[in-house]
Amino acid sequence: MKNIRINIKNFFIRVFNIPFAFLMHAIDIIMWPIQKIVGVRNMPYIFLLPNLFFFGLFVIVPLGVNVAFSVTGGDELLFANREFSGAKHYNYLFDCENYLNANTCTEDFFWRGVHNTIFFVIFQVGLMIFFSLLTAVILNKKIIGRGFFRSVFFFPVLLSPVVVGLIWQWILLKNGILNAFIEANGGDKFSFLTDPGWAMTSSIFVSIWAHMGFYTLIVLAGLQAIPPNLYEAAEMDGTSRERTFFRITLPLLMPNLLVVFILASIKGVQTFDEIYVLTGGGPGTSTSLIVQYIFTTGFASSGSVQNFGLAAAASMVLGVVLLLLTLIQLYLSRSRENKHQEI
Amino acid sequence: MTEIVLKNIFKSYDQTEVIHGVDLKVESGKFLVLVGPSGCGKSTLLRIIAGLERITSGEILIEGNEVSNIPASERGLAMVFQSYALYPHMSVYKNMAFSLENLKIDKKTIEEKVNSAAKLLQIEDYLQRKPKALSGGQRQRVAIGRAIVRDPKAFLFDEPLSNLDAELRVTMRKELSALHEKIGGTMIYVTHDQVEAMTLADQIVVLNEGYVAQAGAPLDLYNNPNDTFVAGFIGSPKMNFMNVKSIKKDDEINLKSESLNIKSSVDVEVNTDYTLGIRPEHIYICEKNDSDLEATVDYSEQLGSETYFYCNTHDASQLIVHQTGQYKVAKGDKLFLRFDRSSIHLFGVDGKAIKNKS
Repeated sequence: MKNIRINIKNFFIRVFNIPFAFLMHAIDIIMWPIQKIVGVRNMPYIFLLPNLFFFGLFVIVPLGVNVAFSVTGGDELLFANREFSGAKHYNYLFDCENYLNANTCTEDFFWRGVHNTIFFVIFQVGLMIFFSLLTAVILNKKIIGRGFFRSVFFFPVLLSPVVVGLIWQWILLKNGILNAFIEANGGDKFSFLTDPGWAMTSSIFVSIWAHMGFYTLIVLAGLQAIPPNLYEAAEMDGTSRERTFFRITLPLLMPNLLVVFILASIKGVQTFDEIYVLTGGGPGTSTSLIVQYIFTTGFASSGSVQNFGLAAAASMVLGVVLLLLTLIQLYLSRSRENKHQEI
Repeated sequence: MTEIVLKNIFKSYDQTEVIHGVDLKVESGKFLVLVGPSGCGKSTLLRIIAGLERITSGEILIEGNEVSNIPASERGLAMVFQSYALYPHMSVYKNMAFSLENLKIDKKTIEEKVNSAAKLLQIEDYLQRKPKALSGGQRQRVAIGRAIVRDPKAFLFDEPLSNLDAELRVTMRKELSALHEKIGGTMIYVTHDQVEAMTLADQIVVLNEGYVAQAGAPLDLYNNPNDTFVAGFIGSPKMNFMNVKSIKKDDEINLKSESLNIKSSVDVEVNTDYTLGIRPEHIYICEKNDSDLEATVDYSEQLGSETYFYCNTHDASQLIVHQTGQYKVAKGDKLFLRFDRSSIHLFGVDGKAIKNKS
């Protein structure tokens, strides 16, 4: 009986081995001569090649094309028809009497975008950290329906930015749901999306609503990694709740908050779609961010003023900012790793 | 000096009762050890005293004051955790000073207190280090130091030596004992290790499934266990148990099993089942004529200064025999064994000890 079982098992192993062995032989036919030529030591590069190809095709090549567009002029798409213009686009972008006043700049739309983005990122990131922390602390407590609320706060992260923009447009429009509710309760309508100040506030709020779940999750993970014993020790030490939070929870949460800060900053600088759908960058240019400037300049301008070169130059500037933020994140996470290794 | 009294303590988690009416008195300045197997409720009881767990009913008195509804932070007790629970982002100094800062004590006094505790525990050189840069033993000292600086009413220890290696555990055990002598506070110590309990305690409380099985001085528990649980738990290796029946023969009552026939030294009822208990060190190897029973060696542990024999008897119970010195015995060898009459314990079928009527 035992023998029969072993035979059946062996039979199946053999059957399943046939296509596998066939595949391996087929790969061998190709790999063998390659290995002969490049040597065993260089084989890892051969294995990386397929991925590198696609990475190159969709990341490196477009980057190169972007650089090329930024230093050439004209309306044409093909390089053969574009003239080399050197730093002309960059000079044009940075031609400013006072960088703090967009009106003194030749390309004032760009600088309005820059100013709006800086304002947007500072408030969005600050408030994002505050609300993520607050939500995570509450969701970490033993409250009724904790699992449900954790899902609810994460749900917006799963929505497409366009959907987010549309939902909040319906709510915040002059004739939207929120104003209907305010009016029904005897209040006056607010211009949530058409007053410059309110439009920026609404944009920041919607953006926080849409992305907070993700950052809450990071903070929550940090909170749960704090051993409960520390809180008990603090309690035995006669520590007040506030002091426990500021002296124990917050310092131990710092690495997670740092990650939230950097990721939210990078994402904040890149913000475009949900705000574009919500306000269209308006009223005027009051909620127009850098990415919208790039999009409008490169693709959406009416008539023949589509300026690929200028858009490419602006996106290069944005790229440098993002690169700096990423380097800071890498530096901070590395120095943390080194600290861990010291233990 | 603090006396701690527990009166009729019950504790339930939802529908499950885990502490079933525990009464306990820790006299001022004494070292009390709560000992028992995993899940017996000893840590829960300690956390109840600390104020980290609420009781379902009962009374907790510290220095005569009822504290059941007073939060942990206001009970004035200090606790040393198994995992040390040091604040990882603070230096050793900050860890020790933290509770004093909570009390808004002036910096100079804090410095004096921390330095004197550090000196007592020999951790002065590490004060500026973070906990992660310390070894397990050093961390445990810091945890103890953190407790000492507060001058607490009593010290609570929750299995503080469990995370240390065997050698360090012995050293720390001695140091804890010395520390108790030096600072003399009331200490309650939880452990599952009965050797720790025996060596440290003024008083041991053995817990079993949420009940107090027995409380008393270490040797009192060892010599006069109340039941088979305490008899089996206190002492290493554990006490041997054999099922016997009391048979009347002439004017005497004998305790009889398939392999054993021994005169009872206690008053027992005739024709009743009992459990006979005898510790390994109270069984001697002797000549056939003097022996109480014959056993076959299953295996032996030669420790150099002493030898343990694990023997099988005719009635299928295994006997552990302890002998000082070295013996050349092989598996399967026969041994003739004699029980020390004065050290035989007898338990009823309910596990309770049968004591001599005196």
